[in-house]
Amino acid sequence: MSAPYISVRNLTKTFHTPAGDVHAVNNVSFDIARGSVVGLVGESGSGKTTLGRTMLRLIEPTGGEVLVDGQDVLKLPHAAMKAMRKKMQIIFQDPFSSLNPRMRVDAIIGEALSTHKIGKRKERRDIVAGLLEEVGLQADHMSRYPHEFSGGQRQRIGIARALAVEPEFIVADESVSALDVSVQAQILNLMQDLREKRNLTILFIAHDLSVVEYLCDEVVVLYLGRIAETGIARPVYEQPAHPYTRALLSAAPTPDPRAVRNREILVGDIPSPLSPPSGCVFRTRCVYAQDRCAQEIPELAPVSAAQQIACLRAGEI
Amino acid sequence: MLEAIAARPDLAEDLVLKVENLSTHFVFKNRTAKAVRDVSFSLRKGQTLAIVGESGSGKSVTSLTMMGLLGHPGKVAGGRALYRRSNGEIVDLTKASHRMMRTIRGKEIAMIFQEPMTSLNPLFTVGDQIGEMLRLHEPVSKDEARARAKAMLELVEIPDAGRRLDDYPHHMSGGMRQRVMIAMSMICNPQLLIADEPTTALDVTIQAQILDLMRRLQRDMGMSILFITHNMGVVAEIADEVAVMYAGEVVEQAPVNDLFDRSLHPYTKGLLASIPNTGRDFDANGVRQRLSSIDGVVPSLFAMPEGCSFAPRCKFAEPKCTGPAVLRTVAEGHLTRCWKSEMLA
Repeated sequence: MSAPYISVRNLTKTFHTPAGDVHAVNNVSFDIARGSVVGLVGESGSGKTTLGRTMLRLIEPTGGEVLVDGQDVLKLPHAAMKAMRKKMQIIFQDPFSSLNPRMRVDAIIGEALSTHKIGKRKERRDIVAGLLEEVGLQADHMSRYPHEFSGGQRQRIGIARALAVEPEFIVADESVSALDVSVQAQILNLMQDLREKRNLTILFIAHDLSVVEYLCDEVVVLYLGRIAETGIARPVYEQPAHPYTRALLSAAPTPDPRAVRNREILVGDIPSPLSPPSGCVFRTRCVYAQDRCAQEIPELAPVSAAQQIACLRAGEI
Repeated sequence: MLEAIAARPDLAEDLVLKVENLSTHFVFKNRTAKAVRDVSFSLRKGQTLAIVGESGSGKSVTSLTMMGLLGHPGKVAGGRALYRRSNGEIVDLTKASHRMMRTIRGKEIAMIFQEPMTSLNPLFTVGDQIGEMLRLHEPVSKDEARARAKAMLELVEIPDAGRRLDDYPHHMSGGMRQRVMIAMSMICNPQLLIADEPTTALDVTIQAQILDLMRRLQRDMGMSILFITHNMGVVAEIADEVAVMYAGEVVEQAPVNDLFDRSLHPYTKGLLASIPNTGRDFDANGVRQRLSSIDGVVPSLFAMPEGCSFAPRCKFAEPKCTGPAVLRTVAEGHLTRCWKSEMLA
C-alpha cells in the first residue's frame, strides 16, 4: 500500500481556560488515503470540530503532526502555509452565518481567487460562473446576495467557494446538518459527484450516522477527544466492536416502525472535558466497565482486518 | 360558552382533539402569507399523532394556532380545533376566551419546545420554574410546590433531584434541560402534550433517552401527545398516527405502519426515499447509488401554485394537477391529497 495522503499523528489540542485545561483532542492518530472520504462522528463535545480545524491549522494544535503528502503542515512557515492553504479548504455547517450578507456571490467566491492570485480580474468572472454551474446554480446568480437564496442553495455557494482554489483536501464540518432531508440528499449527491470528478479527499464531520454511512469509505468515532473506534465504514456499521459505537448506532432512529428495537440506551451525558474520567474515558457510561478500565488508558488496536478499537476488553465482549 | 355547547355533538367519544379545516394567515400591509391551509386531523386519547414536515411546512404554526399563541400579524382565517376538556366540556380552542385559554394552557394542554435553553428563564432555579407552573394553576404552598417539583425531577430520572432543584438552567446539559422542560409540562398532569421538535437539538444518544422517557410517561399517565418533527426515524419510533404536511397543507395522513409500508402521496414517497438507507443505496457489489432527492424548493407562502402545492416539484405531475387538490380517504384511516395516488402505488 502506498503512503497515505494525509497522516495525523498524536494530534493534541488543549485549551487553557480559567476553569482548567480542556483536552479537546487527545493524542489522535489516523490516516486518509488520497481520494477517499473519511467520516468523523461523535456526540457534541467529542472534539470533532476542533480536530477538523486543527488539521487545517485554523486552530494551532498543542502537539502532534499532520502530514499532507509527507509534509508536516504544522511546521510550515507563513509563506509556505499560505500555499498549502490552497490545497486545503473547509465547508461550514450553517449556510446562513458562513456567508457575508453584505457581499455579492461573485465577491464571496472571487475573494478566494484574489487572495491566492488565481487568474486575471477578467478571467475570474468566468471562473466564478463555471464554479456556480458546477455546483448546480446559474452563472447569473453571481450578482445576487446570500439572502436571496434558500438554505440548500447557500450551501452550494459555500461549496463553490471552497472549490474555487482547486483544493485537494476538504473538511466538511456538518455540511448537511442544517438542511431538510430532501435538500440534504441533493447536496450529498453533489458532493459525491464533485468528489469523483475532482478526485477530492474529504474529512466529513457529522453527527448523523446514516449520512456518514452513505458517503464515507472509512469512519472515525470520537469520544471525549479520543478515538474509540476506526475502520472501513461497512464493517464498522455492520459489526461495531467498541461499546460506544454500538450504543451510538443503536440510538439512531430508523425509519421503520416495525424495526425491533433492542437498544442499548446510554445512561447520562458525555462527561465534562474539564475533568475527563481516568483510564478509559468511556468507562462511566459503559456497561462492560471493570476496575481496570479506571486504571489503564486503552490503546487503539486491531480487532479485525478492517477495524481498530480502543478498549481494554476488546477480545472479551 | 354558547359555541362550546353547539360544538359538542361533533367530537367522537374516543377523541381528545379534532382539528377541522384550520387556516392561519399572516396578514401584512399588501400581502398575506397563508401558513396553514385547510388542515384537519384528530388525536385519540392516549395516542401519539406525529405531524411531520420540512421547514416552512406550517407544522409549528398549526400548534401555536391551537394554543392561542399566534402573535401579530397572525390570525385564524377559518376552521376550528375542538378539544375535550378534562371535565368533559368541549371547546373550540380557536374561539375560546383568553381567560379560558389561560386555564387550559399549561394545566390541561402542556407544550415543550425544541430549544430547552431558550424556553427556561436563566435567572430562576429550575425548582422555582417547575413549582411556578403548579402554583399558577393550583392553590398550593411554596413548600408543597417545591416537594412536587422534586418528585417531578425524580419522575424524569434526574439523579440527585433534591440538590438539582437549586440549579440554574446553565448548570445543566441539553438533555437535562429537556428533562426539566418535561417535568415542568407534566406537573399539572396534562391530558394533552404538544411537543414541538423536542429532540432535534439533542445528540442521538440523548434523543433515545428522551423518547424512551416520553413513551414511559405516556404509558403511566395516559396522556395524548401531538409530536411535531421533521425526522422520519423519530416518527417511526413514537407515532401511532402520522400527518404529513407540505406548504401549509396536510398531504397525507395514516396509521404509522401504513404510512411507511405504502405511502400514497408523491411528497411522502420522495421524503422517505431521500433518507440514506444502506439496503437501498448500495447495489449488490457495494457500489454507491445516487440518493433519490426532491428537485426544486418549497413554494413561497405568498405565491402558492394553483391546485396541488407539490405539483411544481412532482415527477408525476400532469396538467390536471392544477385543479383543486382535496384530501380524500383511500383506505381505512389513510388519506391523501393526490388524485393519482392509486396509480402510483
